[in-house]
Amino acid sequence: MNAPALALNGLVAVPAAFALLTWLLSARRHEAAALAAAVTGGLVVLGWSVWAVVASGGDLAARHVDVPWVAELGLRWHLGLDAISGALVLMTTVVVACCLVSLVRQPPAGGSAAHLAALLLLIEAGSLGSFAALDMVLFFLFFEVALIPMWFVIGQWGDPQDEVGRRRAATRFLVFTVLGSALMLVGFVLVRVGAGTFDIVAVAASYDPSGETAVAAAVLVALGLGIKTPLWPLHIWLPDAHAKAPTVGSVVLAAVLLKLGTYGFVRFWMPVVDPAWDLLVPLVAAVAVIGIVYGALACLAQTDLKRLIAYSSVGHMGFVVLAAATFTVGGVQAAVFASVAHGVITGLLFFLAGAVKDRFGTGDLTRLGGLYGVVPRTGGLVAFAAMASLGLPGLAGFWGEMLAIRAAVLPAAALPRTTFVVLGVVAALGIILTSAYFLALLRTLLQSTPLVDPPAVPALGDTRRSEWLAWSPLVALTLVLGVAPGLLLAPVAEATRVFLGGLG
Amino acid sequence: MSGQLQQVDWLAIAAPLTLALAAVLVLLVDAFAGPPRSHRAALVPAGLTVLAVVGAAVPAVLLVGDPRSTFCVERALEGPAPCSFAVDPFTLVVWAIVLFGTGVVALIATASVREGRTPQGEWHFLLLCSSAGALTLAASRDLVTLLVALEVVSLPAFALAGLRRGDPRAAEAALKFFLVSVVSTALTLMGISLLYGATGAVFLDHVAAAVATGTGPRQVLVVGALLTVVGLAFKVAAVPFHMWVPDTYTGAPVAVAAYLSVVSKTAGFAGLVLVLSTGLGGLADVWAPVLGVLAALTMTVGNVLALRQQHAVRLLAWSSVAQAGYILVPFAAVATDPSALDATLGYLAVYAIVNLGAFSVAAVVGTRHPGQSLADYRGLVREEPGAGWALAFALLALAGLPPGIVGLLAKVVVVDAVAGPATWLAVVMAVNVAIGLVYYALWLRELFRPADVAGTSTYDVPNGTAAAIGMTFTAGLLFSVFPGWLLDPVMAAIGR
Repeated sequence: MNAPALALNGLVAVPAAFALLTWLLSARRHEAAALAAAVTGGLVVLGWSVWAVVASGGDLAARHVDVPWVAELGLRWHLGLDAISGALVLMTTVVVACCLVSLVRQPPAGGSAAHLAALLLLIEAGSLGSFAALDMVLFFLFFEVALIPMWFVIGQWGDPQDEVGRRRAATRFLVFTVLGSALMLVGFVLVRVGAGTFDIVAVAASYDPSGETAVAAAVLVALGLGIKTPLWPLHIWLPDAHAKAPTVGSVVLAAVLLKLGTYGFVRFWMPVVDPAWDLLVPLVAAVAVIGIVYGALACLAQTDLKRLIAYSSVGHMGFVVLAAATFTVGGVQAAVFASVAHGVITGLLFFLAGAVKDRFGTGDLTRLGGLYGVVPRTGGLVAFAAMASLGLPGLAGFWGEMLAIRAAVLPAAALPRTTFVVLGVVAALGIILTSAYFLALLRTLLQSTPLVDPPAVPALGDTRRSEWLAWSPLVALTLVLGVAPGLLLAPVAEATRVFLGGLG
Repeated sequence: MSGQLQQVDWLAIAAPLTLALAAVLVLLVDAFAGPPRSHRAALVPAGLTVLAVVGAAVPAVLLVGDPRSTFCVERALEGPAPCSFAVDPFTLVVWAIVLFGTGVVALIATASVREGRTPQGEWHFLLLCSSAGALTLAASRDLVTLLVALEVVSLPAFALAGLRRGDPRAAEAALKFFLVSVVSTALTLMGISLLYGATGAVFLDHVAAAVATGTGPRQVLVVGALLTVVGLAFKVAAVPFHMWVPDTYTGAPVAVAAYLSVVSKTAGFAGLVLVLSTGLGGLADVWAPVLGVLAALTMTVGNVLALRQQHAVRLLAWSSVAQAGYILVPFAAVATDPSALDATLGYLAVYAIVNLGAFSVAAVVGTRHPGQSLADYRGLVREEPGAGWALAFALLALAGLPPGIVGLLAKVVVVDAVAGPATWLAVVMAVNVAIGLVYYALWLRELFRPADVAGTSTYDVPNGTAAAIGMTFTAGLLFSVFPGWLLDPVMAAIGR
């Protein structure tokens, strides 16, 4: 096995192996050793992913793994990385490593923290496999790998006060996502009817979507990915899943699993769509924009911190899909950048929401307030993350949304320009609404005095050293991406031109 | 020349013959040895059955890559001589599933030895008879042999279901199964006679030729085809011919439910493939849409009714109805793609392995909790890790989720066959996979829940059943890592 092949296979195998090791140690009642193994695993995978991105050199065609797996089905073990997937791979390994570190000092109630860590590593293995997969069915398959572990994470370690609710949320998450996967699979098979292969690189290079089958395929893939991303109105599983999941579950769900949907739009939907079709692409863009506005309005009405962040995710995902639906290099840049930025920022927000809940025993915004006075450093971080999320220039959240709107104003030539300009304007309105609810959040949560039933001063105190350790990479990335977006934008543009040759 | 003895290819018929002879042997051994005095002695019939299965597998392996036919018409009027019995790749795949299934069922049955209510010798005699019928059915190439083989599969199965002494529920299960089966056989017979009347042929090749040339009234052919399908639909428990399934599965011993859901069902599907694809392929434009609707109904009803079940075997019964729906799906694509039935065989092979896995664990739990409530499975992974993990794997594979990758790929195979020719059905299936997940997840959750009482009383897993669990679990895991080892040869069997 040559170096790129080893690196790419290891991307899946290493986290899976560490998950197994953690599980075995935990089963032998070596709880501390198991957690240590999991954290080591997270760091090793992080290092490994950096090596994998370097070793594959952004070259999908030459530095990849491609061996037949099930010949009768035409299914191949085909992995490769370019800047589009590489960025998401790095973001994933960073976020999961942060989660694993945080588990050491903040184990959630509900069971062994080592088991939870093992499940997180399994989710990581599935997600990294999905990002690296270049075979459509393999992408589908890896996505499914992450689901059952996530179902356990929500169902077992979720909200300890609401057993029925967290079980329902977990099962709803599972059923919706599998429905999305299955519809997407039908779409992929239909693509193969026209393209003759499941190899997405070949499809992107030479597939010419035309005819009813191709339209049906594109609709089904969009529907499937729309459930996973999620797009309005297919998002109904998301708020519950987030609200009931444990902190690390929410972080991974928002930062990693949702990205599989948006990544799918860029990698597996754009190549199978012809933007010259009358309705499909503008429709997807319009749905995305409705999601932006809807998410923001829903946020204004939320009284639960985690639900609020969940709805804000619906809005952010709307920007990503809107950007992808413009079928321009700029759009793909915006989509990938916004995906990474959302992963980092929303991951941080969910960590903070978990910290608030740990300290005050509630995430109810009507009961919380005046955090600046009680826990000033946590409050400051909340303000920082909220500012980043609403798109303050200089922080990571800004570039993705700005570029998305720019791409909407300058869509591909085949698309109806006026429609997209209108959509871009509405999306910009969404940014204003987003600012409104985040500022309102900051006011009620950080500044005002609580209206009813003031929570006691927490026993845990303010932000602790272990928390700083887990969060600081995300804070740093938010700053770095905000100040130097070119680090990510330039290679993504290059990769997009190679992958989707025809884009303007 | 009439009256002259035929040349019989003994190797070709060796597999069903072995099982039939072994059946007699099991009965004789049991009769001479008398009622077993120890539990260990009660395991003798099961051991003999497994030996017989292995013995039947030997000639089957020898025939790989060497298709044979026997019982042929000596001098055909035109064309090549038609044969009643053929061993080709399709036959071999079905044989493999049937033999594997019979062996595992015999091992599962050891779980009920301790109970002492089932006469072991007779039980295994009936099992081997029925299984010999299934082997014959897969090799039959004329309508009469096919019907007789189908009866050989069914008749012992009624007795199997009702053999438990002093158990009124088993008797009721057997009676219900018997009545439904008789009606379905009568319908099939009616259909076959119409086909014979319309084409003047019983050999499937001749029927196919007659359909292709358009001899015979088309309406009669269509009615004959549909009646035949109805009869076989009872066997595979397709909706709306499924009513017997839940009561029969729950009333009969778990091993019999496993047998009905895998071996007997495989025989039914083999019959469907033979009659519809080999014989009536020319009428695919008529029956393919009908089977498409049947498939959609079957999976939807099976999944929806499984949602409310709290009884494990009843849940598996409805689940097996739903799975039959998935297996029927590729038939809807035959009109445009004659090789679509590859997917049926592929799914059937995977289903056989994982479904037997689930039933074998259910048999173990049934020894302590005859009530088979889902709550009885609570904490199984911790109490009895081998059985618990095996069941978890089997359920995930039935649901089509990793780590049960083999089950996931089986679903991909079916979707791959039908998306395009009948995309609507693929979408219906996608929705159904999501519905099905709910009840598999429900059961799965029980397995991992910490047990109520910290009683460490472990199960006394009989060796035979442990072997059944081990075999199915190992096969499932192996084919999840190397799915090509299973799917490639199986799906190459219907080469056209």
